[in-house]
Amino acid sequence: MSDTVLEVQALTKRFGGLVAVDGVSLEVRKGQIVGLIGINGAGKTTLMNCVNGIYRSDDGQVRLNNADITRKTPHEIALAGVGRTFQVPRTFRRMDLIDNLMVPLLHTDASDADLTARAEDGLRQVGLYELRHNHGEELSGGQQKLLELARVIMLDPELILLDEPFAGVNPSLCRIMLQQIEKLRDASKSFLLVSHDLTSIYRLSDHLYVLNQGEIIAEGLVEDVQNDPVVIEAYLGN
Amino acid sequence: MNEVLLLQGLVGGIVFGAIYALIGASLNVMVGVLRVINFAHGEFILAGSFFAYAMLMGLGLNPLYAVAPVAVLFFLAGYGAYFVLIPRLQRSDEPETSSFLLMFGVSLMMIAVLTWIFEADIRPVNFSFDPINVTLLVVEDAYGPGRDGRVIVPTARIVALAVNALMIIALTWFLYRTLTGKAMRAAIMNRDAVQIVGIDVHHLSATAFGLATAIAGVTGVLLAMVVPSVDPNGGPPLALVGFVVIVLGGLGHPVGALLAGVLFGVVEQVATVMLPQAAAQMLGFVILIAVIFFRPSGILGLAVSR
Repeated sequence: MSDTVLEVQALTKRFGGLVAVDGVSLEVRKGQIVGLIGINGAGKTTLMNCVNGIYRSDDGQVRLNNADITRKTPHEIALAGVGRTFQVPRTFRRMDLIDNLMVPLLHTDASDADLTARAEDGLRQVGLYELRHNHGEELSGGQQKLLELARVIMLDPELILLDEPFAGVNPSLCRIMLQQIEKLRDASKSFLLVSHDLTSIYRLSDHLYVLNQGEIIAEGLVEDVQNDPVVIEAYLGN
Repeated sequence: MNEVLLLQGLVGGIVFGAIYALIGASLNVMVGVLRVINFAHGEFILAGSFFAYAMLMGLGLNPLYAVAPVAVLFFLAGYGAYFVLIPRLQRSDEPETSSFLLMFGVSLMMIAVLTWIFEADIRPVNFSFDPINVTLLVVEDAYGPGRDGRVIVPTARIVALAVNALMIIALTWFLYRTLTGKAMRAAIMNRDAVQIVGIDVHHLSATAFGLATAIAGVTGVLLAMVVPSVDPNGGPPLALVGFVVIVLGGLGHPVGALLAGVLFGVVEQVATVMLPQAAAQMLGFVILIAVIFFRPSGILGLAVSR
């Protein structure tokens, strides 16, 4: 049996005449952290939006555990096992942190006390338990990113899409984020990780894809990609 | 200043304010969750009033008996109407503008239907409780030695206020204590984020539309008890009150709307008994303009959100 969790095949997304994602194929295996790097406008976030159903792709296919999810809605994809965070955190700003984590549990058949305990446990994991009665809008940007990660964990997804999890996050919160990602990977969760923070992405990634102008221009182990002249040219120019 | 008159205005303000609170809260749920500027909200309320009127005229039943069937039927109608009216709008670049135009059309259509069925006249809703009135307070020597003043309220208004208060408590409980209510509030704050945590935003929106329609319908029943008359052309002023209350309470704060509704009702009714009528009608809107200038997020929005 294949251990491929996510398989993207020849995915294309156009906005009018602009081809933002151009025939991209990639895969993420169980327990693997796959990094996706590229300069601004390379199509990284668009690709993520196609994977989790926010955008409808124009061509190609997205498969989760070998099931076609290409035309599914974001909530169906979330329930199928794909969690997602955003570059700019989308927390529920005027809700306390416990309620922020309880919203994903809408379809969970459990008592209020159990749901609250689960939410509190989620907050403990990302070091936000002490702030549990604060509202989302009272957190710093970095804390909101941790809250988003905790919210993702609530649904116990198999695959987690992280969009720039380290951008604008201070070093101590970055450390918590890194620890959580590694802990989840150890629990066999898979990741597709987009980041400009090359240090973190090189440290975490088991496999790396490089996207440039909507196309994959390189892939492989971190060491191979780091030294690939095509990648160096794409990042630094001639 | 006449103490009795002031107290009478205050009591009337609380009765009408509670109704405005429900109008504002239901409209706030609709605008917040669905981004729909429901200009037909007044007609949704009127439909509830006419339902109660029809039950009274057809079956001889006190309007109070219309509360439960209106709540159920209007919820189902609202839930179904969502799928007919709204999803197409949300594919538009400017769903708010499109929804305003669409719901304005729905408003005109509903006025036409109500006028067609019930004709254009204002109809009295003739019913009563026993006793007809309740004396809330006796102010001794209010009008001179030996001439007491009485603060009198029709029993129907007290009953309507009690039902109204129960609905406000139930709505607040629903929004803050149930997972569906929390999901609705979350959708008001960030609709995209709700989808990516596994919530079917169409089902949630349809539920919100049904809930808001049901509350509007019941509000109409209570209004028919309080006024007591029904007028097919009375919808737009009610929708206007709803939008004023939303601005006062803060968009996206259903509980802020509840409090703002009561405040608006009290100011309006007290002003009605204390000031010339034109000035009284203006006062509420003066407050509205002041709030827009000085607290654009709503007079109670921030306090309630925390």
